[in-house]
Amino acid sequence: MVVEAPGDQPVPPAAGVLPAVDDAPARPPPSAARGSRWAWIGSPVALIPLLLVVAVAAVLVAASHFQDFGPSFWSTDYNFLPADSAASSWGIGAFLVGTGITAGAALVLATVLSLALSISIVVYLPSVPSRVLTILTNLLAGIPSVVYGIWGYVILAPYFALSLEPGLRDAIGWIPGFGGPASDIGPHGLLLAIVILTIMIIPLTTALMREALRGVPNDLLEAGLALGATRWEVARRVQMRSARLGIGSAVLLGFGRAIGESVAVAMVIGAVPMLPASLYAASTTQASFIFYQLDSAFFYPVLLRFLVEIAIVLLAIALVVNLFAQRLTQTEIATATTVGGAGGPAGR
Amino acid sequence: MTTAAAAPAGIGDGGELRRASGRLRRRLLFDRAIGWILLAAFAVVLFPLFDMLYWVSANALPTMSWGTLTENQVGTGGGLYPMIQGTFVIVGLATALAVGLGVAAGFYTSEYAPPSVARLARIAGNLLAGVPAIVLGYFGYFLLVIYAGWGFSALAGAITLGIFMTPYVYRTTDVALSSVPKGQREAALALGARPHQYLGRVAFRIALPTVLTGVFFAMALGLGEAAPLYYTAGFNSYPISNLTSPTGTLSVVIYQFYDNPASFGHFLALAFQAAFLSIVIVLGLNVAVQLLSDRYRRRLRGLYQ
Repeated sequence: MVVEAPGDQPVPPAAGVLPAVDDAPARPPPSAARGSRWAWIGSPVALIPLLLVVAVAAVLVAASHFQDFGPSFWSTDYNFLPADSAASSWGIGAFLVGTGITAGAALVLATVLSLALSISIVVYLPSVPSRVLTILTNLLAGIPSVVYGIWGYVILAPYFALSLEPGLRDAIGWIPGFGGPASDIGPHGLLLAIVILTIMIIPLTTALMREALRGVPNDLLEAGLALGATRWEVARRVQMRSARLGIGSAVLLGFGRAIGESVAVAMVIGAVPMLPASLYAASTTQASFIFYQLDSAFFYPVLLRFLVEIAIVLLAIALVVNLFAQRLTQTEIATATTVGGAGGPAGR
Repeated sequence: MTTAAAAPAGIGDGGELRRASGRLRRRLLFDRAIGWILLAAFAVVLFPLFDMLYWVSANALPTMSWGTLTENQVGTGGGLYPMIQGTFVIVGLATALAVGLGVAAGFYTSEYAPPSVARLARIAGNLLAGVPAIVLGYFGYFLLVIYAGWGFSALAGAITLGIFMTPYVYRTTDVALSSVPKGQREAALALGARPHQYLGRVAFRIALPTVLTGVFFAMALGLGEAAPLYYTAGFNSYPISNLTSPTGTLSVVIYQFYDNPASFGHFLALAFQAAFLSIVIVLGLNVAVQLLSDRYRRRLRGLYQ
């Protein structure tokens, strides 16, 4: 009788998280089902997700009408003149920079916080508090993104403009980015968008990191503890080290989520398509700009195609980041020697 | 207390700390300090959660009445009935689509597809989940609203949202079916079940609770996301009578408040009410997921041992 390892149990989906890429446990090829009735519809049905991804890309490419904006497409010079679209300049550099700054900074903050949360939950806390805090962290994922946006705009923004940003400027204004002029168009700015994005992606990165840390074989932990290491030493030198690929994958998936967030960011960033002078200045991102501008682009075919090309670039970045994340998790699975350490279905 | 009882949680307990001295004491103190610092991270993360919940409830509840749920929006006043109806219609249809596509694809990936196809399908499923919501919104807008000529409509919104939700249903179905213990298959086939009988009567029943958690979870995600709907379902302050008319949803109402310069007074109240309602629905779904997975875990405990 083969004893099923507890790691074979299905893990219920955690906040915004797909279960790990290839966590299907080793099982015999499903020869019993193959070759039977219904098998003939097989592969095409299994590949529905692939067809959908291809369809999304194809529709966007068709909608762009292959409009060629020339080499200046990659410049930071964007200036749309409705009256004379021939004189307009079409560069997506500012959007890429805005996306990179917001998603990158949010990811740094979210990584630090999520690591702290997941180590707390997995290593330090007893089971009941850790379960309660897990549920609470997951609730954060259940709040609609529009509510994040409106909360940032109404509650956080005045505090940022009146207290936090002047305070930061006085304290660490010598660091590039922290010293420049503030936003002059009301409650908007890069810093606000970064903070909102951070809170939004924390449930995702925390859940993924938690699963990665939980996946470290118990043997390793017990060996560390038996040698006299403290909890923190085990967490740092054993768990974080052996789960590093999973943590890296969590970071990449968090980045993918952050670059794709449109509505909440559009509400707090200010939609100014220029290179930002400081972290306090209004800026824009690819996702928030294409969300914000589509209804005004209706009468300007060129602008419409430009927006579609921003969307294509965004899609390409998101897919590449996602593929890298999947590759990391698969490498981890390939190198893992034990799967028995997950300790049963991990609680949400 | 013997050392044999020292489970991970026991390390760094008060007793050890009192007895320790020198370098070991420093290490144990450091370990505790780190524990408290890590705990502080929860304060940073939970403050926004509670503040948002409090802020939305405090602004929504005083102005809410039965009419909020039953009346049409009139100018900047009235109730949210049309958007509630629209949300239920669109999320309902989207769920049907996501379940149809996701369960079918997950089923075939897990049970029928050759390993190479299954591998490709799983990668694609994760890729689909990685497509930004607004990009899906553009897809729905160009394909359904413009090229198909449907205009802003409930159907276009539901299809776009359904595609947004599909990968979550797909992945949970695949994982749930792949994790059915081998013994179940062997027992069923040994008793003479045909493969499709095994799948339908054994595997699918064991997997069903997990699939349901995936479906609820996808619904919660779909309810909160405005980006796929804004340019596909459009907006409507009247209840719809057919699926081809523009349709309002709760998440889009909240955005409308923000986007409208004159949006103060009662319209603001409507936005808060919409936010409150969608949070309540989403939290309800979350609780359902939690209960389901708890029950499921209990039920499986016997099965897997």
